[in-house]
Amino acid sequence: MPSGLKDKVAILGMGCSRFGERWDVGPEELMVEAYSEALSTAGIDPTEIDAAWYSSHYDDIGAGKAGTPMAQALRLPDIGVTRVENFCAGGTEAFRGAVMAVASGAADIALAVGVEKLKDTGFPGLPTAHRGSFVPMYMPTHTNPGNFSQLATAYGAAHSIPERDLKRAMAHTSVKSHANAVDNPRAHLRKEITLDAVLSAPIVAEPLGLFDCCPVSDGAACAIVTTPEIARARAASTLILVKAVQVVTSNGWELQQQGWSGAYVHTARIAAERAYREAGVTDPAGQISFAELHDCFSITEIVTLEDIGIAPPGTAWSAMLDGQFDRDGRFPVQVDGGLKCFGHPVGASGLRMLFEGWLQLTGQAEDRQLPDPSLVLTHNLGGAPAQNTCSIALIGAEGA
Amino acid sequence: MTGISAIGVHLPRARLERSAIAAAMGWLTPDLPDQGRRTLAFWDEDSTTMGVAAARVALAQQDRAAFGSLDFCTLTPPFAERQNASILHAALGLPASCVTQESGTTQRAALIALHRLMEAGGRGLLVAADRPVNAPGSLAETRVGDGAAAAVAGPDDPCLGYLGGATRTDAIVDRYRAPGAQFATEGEERWLRDVGWQGIVGATIAEALGNSRTDPDAVDHLVLASTLPRLAQRVAREAGLGKARLADDLGGEIGETGTAHALMMLAAHMPKIAPGDTVLLAGFGQGATALVFRATEAISGLDTGFETAHAAGLSETCYTKLPVFSGLLPWDQGPRGRAPVMDALATAQRYAPALLSFTGGKCRETGAVQFPPARLSANPQAPLRDTQEPWPMADLGGTVTSRTADNLAFSRNPPSVYGLVDIAGGGRLMMDFTDPDAATLRIGDPVRFVFRVKDIDSATGFRRYFWKAVTAQTAPVQERQEARDAEWA
Repeated sequence: MPSGLKDKVAILGMGCSRFGERWDVGPEELMVEAYSEALSTAGIDPTEIDAAWYSSHYDDIGAGKAGTPMAQALRLPDIGVTRVENFCAGGTEAFRGAVMAVASGAADIALAVGVEKLKDTGFPGLPTAHRGSFVPMYMPTHTNPGNFSQLATAYGAAHSIPERDLKRAMAHTSVKSHANAVDNPRAHLRKEITLDAVLSAPIVAEPLGLFDCCPVSDGAACAIVTTPEIARARAASTLILVKAVQVVTSNGWELQQQGWSGAYVHTARIAAERAYREAGVTDPAGQISFAELHDCFSITEIVTLEDIGIAPPGTAWSAMLDGQFDRDGRFPVQVDGGLKCFGHPVGASGLRMLFEGWLQLTGQAEDRQLPDPSLVLTHNLGGAPAQNTCSIALIGAEGA
Repeated sequence: MTGISAIGVHLPRARLERSAIAAAMGWLTPDLPDQGRRTLAFWDEDSTTMGVAAARVALAQQDRAAFGSLDFCTLTPPFAERQNASILHAALGLPASCVTQESGTTQRAALIALHRLMEAGGRGLLVAADRPVNAPGSLAETRVGDGAAAAVAGPDDPCLGYLGGATRTDAIVDRYRAPGAQFATEGEERWLRDVGWQGIVGATIAEALGNSRTDPDAVDHLVLASTLPRLAQRVAREAGLGKARLADDLGGEIGETGTAHALMMLAAHMPKIAPGDTVLLAGFGQGATALVFRATEAISGLDTGFETAHAAGLSETCYTKLPVFSGLLPWDQGPRGRAPVMDALATAQRYAPALLSFTGGKCRETGAVQFPPARLSANPQAPLRDTQEPWPMADLGGTVTSRTADNLAFSRNPPSVYGLVDIAGGGRLMMDFTDPDAATLRIGDPVRFVFRVKDIDSATGFRRYFWKAVTAQTAPVQERQEARDAEWA
């Protein structure tokens, strides 16, 4: 078994742009916004960066292919920039690349940037991802709400949850995230909503209504990582260490064989188990302070809480209704508003979650600061419940 | 003895009420009939897919490897170039040596092909399908229907043994449609009745009776492929068919289904035909064809699928679905509808068995089934290499494992309904659910598979086909809808 990444890499600094419908800027400016902040918080000069990873999902409507859009936008000092794309897990994938470079000794300081510019083409929601020439010949012309609504119906059926109760639990998920985002000046949506408003919203894909779906946002987020030794030498007041980064990608079993019920996410369970092993976590609900989950849809958050072991299977929906995952609940999630309200610029989202984790762990979260967090879990799910890439990262203070 | 050994038909589920047509267009054409209904092909049905559906019924008890020919007759071919018959051939899994031929240009095309098959005596499949397109508000629009019929011809165990027949060719212009024209123009009804049907068809019937050495009085059933009012009575009287029962013209509940109509009427009439009965089948169109058959004992057990298809109709009262589905009415497809449909011809050719005949792979070592087939099997614990055997899945059916009704995805009949389907005997895939009642499908419901249009490129007209899931439940849709409402209450 590999020894893993635990405590081998430190986060030196991070940055994040304001998310939203950023008619005022393009992907280059978004990257500069996040990168400038990260440089400042890390206290480094650009020439100290040894290597960079760049995440962007939609090359056709966003910043473009390969590493060049980022190298040019940030005027990086003649270093290698690797573009990664792994659906919505891309931001964490870029972080993983930078972390592995440092852990391996190939780089002393590495940069990870995620960016997405979705609002320049006038397309509502997310465009359909290209999947080669063969798959579209048999796969339905699906959307993400359509894919994740299947998770809702299968989850409801598997646990005999009355439709109405599941709708209310999903609605509370969104109400909670909206409430959390009010205090977040960088969030896309900063307005509280009511349960009734969620329940009476138009249906996008049964049973998901408008407020069960996260928005489509522009934004960028950035991390600068280094070795713990360099971080200490730079006198970072609080050392924030990487505890685990795991990525698990579906190999076709869920989609092509009959063993999967459709009521959970297979890759998430495996990624969580591996991440906990890597980080030495034995009691997730007790040891982890809070989580930023990939709440692309309300149902995803509910099911993920079970997949990562915070709630037993079939119970997260009622625990959600009980307020257990509210900011003042037993296990806060999406304290920054999550994808639902901070927004979801696809390639940036993983780094945005880590940004919130880093803010909270270093006591910089201002109005939404949680008391003494020590270990944070971030989770991304790229693709559909039946076929996806799932990433889970754990970051924490020294000793966590 | 050569003859017809099986017949199968397909009717689209939707039945457009004529009252709905009259309500929408009657202000323009005040004499539109408002009684009865006509079949309406769903957005993803065309002559090719309907032909496949009919042929699957006809082939249910047949050894497909034994077919030497496939004749596809249609006035409404989805492709003007690209042999549509070759798509039917692939979807039906007929042998590569089976010769395919396509004909149209006259409503009588299927009877001409049937006549040739009967005279040739070989084992062949005949498929006729049409989805007539007529001017909105025209009487023709209310008179026609969409549908398909197929017949298996050959020397083995016919249910209708061929006694003889006749074909007369005549340049009479009963209908015409220039290349590129949307609608056919038809000759005056009374002239066609007198000169065409009573004259040309009547003479051809007499010739067929002579060729088959059949006394007019011996004809027990007349199947005359027309919905002209009281036409069959006139023709039967003129031809001296004193005791012939007249087959229902299906004009009331289905409509005239173009080249398919002769076989459609024959299929509908089949339960009334007893072993030993003599059957006369005749049609018109730039000449006439009349064929005489004698029913055998095999007719008793024959299921053409007509009753099932007829009973499965769903009332449709939205007239605009007709012009939208047939492409006559432009509509706002939104940005998702603008996506090009990549033809990727080399990909389509390489995966043709998977895409057209719905052939998956079955691991010869573990028995695990998967779609699509691949070099490495989908068992994650022990993926085996190159162990996949072809595994036809079209007739297996399956069960809904997950489902959605998606209002965001582009669909020509929103919401787009799709989900995971577990195939009977192993394997699963995400597939489209189709037909007007697709949204009533729920997790655990049984489905069967149908060959349909997958996508249409609005710019090029290119269409690709694949298999979709439809309900396999026999309970009427109304009951299922009520059960679902109760479940949600």
